[in-house]
Amino acid sequence: MISYALRRLGAGIVLAVLVTMITFFLLSGSLESVARERLGSAATQESVKALMAELGFDRPAIVQYLDWLGLVLTGDFGVSLFTSQPVAPAVAARLSVTLSLVVTALIITVIISVALGVWAATRGGVADKVSQGLSLVGYVVPGLLIAIVLVTVLSVNLKLLPATGFTPFAQNPGKWAASIAIPVIVLVIGGVASMAAQIRGSMIGELRKDYIRTLRTRGVRTRSIVLRHALRNAASPALTVLSLEFIQMLGGALIIENVFALPDSAPMPSTHRSKATSPSSWASLSSVSCSWCP
Amino acid sequence: MFPVLTRTKTLTRTAAASIAVAALLASTACSSSEPAAESQNTSRNEEISIAIQAQPASLDPAQLAEGQQAYVWASIFDTLLMVDKDNKIQPSAAESWKYSEDLRTLTLKLRSDLKFSTGDPVTSSDVAATLERTRTTAGQQQPKLAKVTSISAPDASTVVIQLSSPEPSLLNYLAQATGVIGDADSLASEKTKLRPTGSGPYVLSDATVDGTEYVMERREDYWNAAAFPFKTVKVKVIQDRTAQYNALQAGEVKAALIQAPQRKQAEGAGFTVKEVQATAALVLVLADRKGDLVPALADVKVRQAINMAFDRAQIVKALLNGVGKPTEQVFDPNSGAYDPALEDTYGFDPEKARKLLAEAGYPDGFAMTMPSTVISQSFEPVITQALADIGIKVTWEPVPPQNTASSIASKKYPAVLWFYGLNSAGRQVGDMYAPEAFLNPFKWNNPELDTLLETVANEPDEATRDGLYKKVNEYTVRQALNAPIAYVGTLWATAPGVDFLPTSVVLPTVRDFGVSAR
Repeated sequence: MISYALRRLGAGIVLAVLVTMITFFLLSGSLESVARERLGSAATQESVKALMAELGFDRPAIVQYLDWLGLVLTGDFGVSLFTSQPVAPAVAARLSVTLSLVVTALIITVIISVALGVWAATRGGVADKVSQGLSLVGYVVPGLLIAIVLVTVLSVNLKLLPATGFTPFAQNPGKWAASIAIPVIVLVIGGVASMAAQIRGSMIGELRKDYIRTLRTRGVRTRSIVLRHALRNAASPALTVLSLEFIQMLGGALIIENVFALPDSAPMPSTHRSKATSPSSWASLSSVSCSWCP
Repeated sequence: MFPVLTRTKTLTRTAAASIAVAALLASTACSSSEPAAESQNTSRNEEISIAIQAQPASLDPAQLAEGQQAYVWASIFDTLLMVDKDNKIQPSAAESWKYSEDLRTLTLKLRSDLKFSTGDPVTSSDVAATLERTRTTAGQQQPKLAKVTSISAPDASTVVIQLSSPEPSLLNYLAQATGVIGDADSLASEKTKLRPTGSGPYVLSDATVDGTEYVMERREDYWNAAAFPFKTVKVKVIQDRTAQYNALQAGEVKAALIQAPQRKQAEGAGFTVKEVQATAALVLVLADRKGDLVPALADVKVRQAINMAFDRAQIVKALLNGVGKPTEQVFDPNSGAYDPALEDTYGFDPEKARKLLAEAGYPDGFAMTMPSTVISQSFEPVITQALADIGIKVTWEPVPPQNTASSIASKKYPAVLWFYGLNSAGRQVGDMYAPEAFLNPFKWNNPELDTLLETVANEPDEATRDGLYKKVNEYTVRQALNAPIAYVGTLWATAPGVDFLPTSVVLPTVRDFGVSAR
C-alpha cells in the first residue's frame, strides 16, 4: 500500500514538473512581448533587448527554467511583472476565493443531490419526473446564462445581493455569504443536475438488489433500508462523480467569477481578450499603450 | 459519459451568446428600475466609485502607464503641470515655467506649500530625483525623457531641465505620468510599487485590496484639496464589461464606461450618459511607405486610393454604434493642429480609387497581409471588403493579444489597423510621423516633412506652433501617409449625484468627476 502511494506520489511530482516545464517553454517564445509591455509601444528595439537582458530573458530557456524551479522549491515564486505583487500570496488570495466558492457549492450540491436523488428513487412517479425534469433543465441551461439572469433579478432589480465583489469570511461572514450567494447558486444548479441523476440511478439499482429484499422481509424499516443500507452502497459511484464535479466546478467558477468581478485566480495578467467594438475594452490590454483609454 | 464532463466546455462555448442574451434580458428587465441613488448631497464628503478594466501594473513613478490606471496614480501623485480640456498646459505643482531662448533649458518653479502624504515638504530635489530615476530606469516613461541631458535643483523650489535638442512635447509629458512627484527617499524601495509615498490629493487607505479595489482618502493638507469634492475615491477593477454595467446598475459603482447599445437603457434607468466624441483615432497605418514589403505603398497615388476606399460614415454608424465621428485626419479635433477643411480631401470614391491605382501601375490591384489583432477583429470584414472593391486583396494573419504592439514593431506587416489615443499634436507627431516613431516602423522620412518637424520643434511661440502643426497635418493628409477612418468616442454613465466633466482630453483622472445637484 505504502509503495503504491509512493509510486502515485512520484508520478504526480513528475507530472507537475512536466506541466510547469511545458508551460514555461511555451511561454518562453513571447518574452519579448513581456519586455515590450513593460516599456510601452514607444520603446526602441534596443531598450527592449536591454530590458530582456536585465530580466535574464536572454539566457537559454532551460537555464531560466531551472533557475525558476530552484527558487520555487525554496518557496520563492517571485514578483509579478504585471501587478508588482509577490506571486505566491497573490495566487493564494485569489485561490482562496475560488476554493471558498467551490467548497461551499460542493457541500450544498451534495445535500440537495442526495435529498433529490433519494426522493426520486424511492417515491417514483411524479417525484421522479420532477427530479429528472429539474436535472435536465439544470444541465441544459448554461451556468453563465443562469448567472446573468440571477444577477439581473436579484442584484440589479431587487438589490438583495451584491452584483460584484467579494468580502472575505474573516472580515464579515454575513457579507461573505451574500457576496458568494449567486455564484454558489449557479454552481449548485450545475452540480445538482448531474449528481442528483447519478444518485437517483445508483439508488434505483441498489433498491432492486436482493439484499434489500432480504432486509425488507426481516422487517427493517424503509427509512433505515434507504438511508443506512442502500444509500451507503449507492454513495460509491456518486463519490466518483463528486470528485469530477469538484474539478468541473473549479473550471466553471473561473468563468462565473468573471461575471461577478470576484478576485479570481484565472485572469491575473492584464491580457483581456474582449472583442467588443468599444475601444475601452482594450484598456486592459496594456501592450497597447493606452493613453486614450478614458 | 457523464453529462458533467462537458459542462465547462458548454459554459465556454455559450459565454459569448449568453452575454448577448443577458444584454437583451437586461434591457427588458431593468428599464423601469432606478439606480441606487444616494442622497442628493453636494457636500464635500461624498464618495465616488469608478469602474476600470485593468489594475495599475505598478505605482512606482518610473513604471507608471497612462490610460485608466491614471485614476489611481494621478490621485496619489501630484504632477508638475496639467493639461486642460483645450489641450493647454496649466500650472499644478509647478506654479510657473520658462524655456530658455534656444528651447534647451526648462526652468520650473514649484509652489511653496507642497507636502507629501507623510507631512514632509516636497522639494525640488524630490522632483529632480524622481525625474532622474524615470530617465534612467527602463519603463514606459523613459523614452519621453530621451532628450534630457541633466536635471538639477539649484534651490528648494527650482528645477532646471537641460535638453540636448528642443522637445516640443516635454511640457505635455510633465503634465502626465512623466511629471509625477515621488519621494526621493523611498523611490527605490520595493514598497513604492504598491504603497508609494504620495504627493497628490489622495492617499491609499488600508482598505485597498491590490488588483481589486483601490480605496483612497482625500488629504486635507494637500495644497489644492478644495478642488477635489470627493472625500473618498474608490477605483474598482472589473474586467468584464457586463459585470461593470451590473455594478453600475446595482449602485456598486457610480461611474463607468458603457457600450453604445446600453445608452438608452442607462438613460431610462436614471443615469446621466455623456459622450466624448473623440478619444482615439481608428487608423489604417500605412507603415510600409518605403515599399519594402509592398512596393505599391511607396506610391502616393496608391495610398490616396486606399483613403478613398472606406465609407467612413457607415463604419461609424454600424461598427462604432454611432459613438464617434468619420475623419480623414488623426489630430485631436480640439487641438490647434486640427483642420476641418481636410475632412473632405478624399471622401468615399471607389471608382476614383481604382482609377488612381491604374494610374500608379496597378490596374489589377495587389495583395498585402495585415495582422489580425484584438483591435482589428471586429473591423476586418469591412476593411477586407472595402479594399477588395478597389482591387487590394488583404490576408489577415492572427496575432496573439500580447503581441499586438509588437506586430507593428516587427516590420512584418505593410499596414496595420490601429487605435491611436489622441494627445497633444507634438506627441502625436512623435508617435506617428517622426523617423523614430512607433507607428513609423519602417522609418520613412521625407525632407519636406523633416524641415517642417524641425521648424515646429524650434518654435517657442505656442500659437505659431499650432499653425505649423496644422501644416504638418495637411502634409500627412495630402501625402496619405496613413488612412484615418474615424474618431472613436466613449460613453460615460454616472449615477445621480455624480457629474462627468472631462477636464483633460489626454489624461483620465478623478478630476473628471464632480458632484452634481441631481
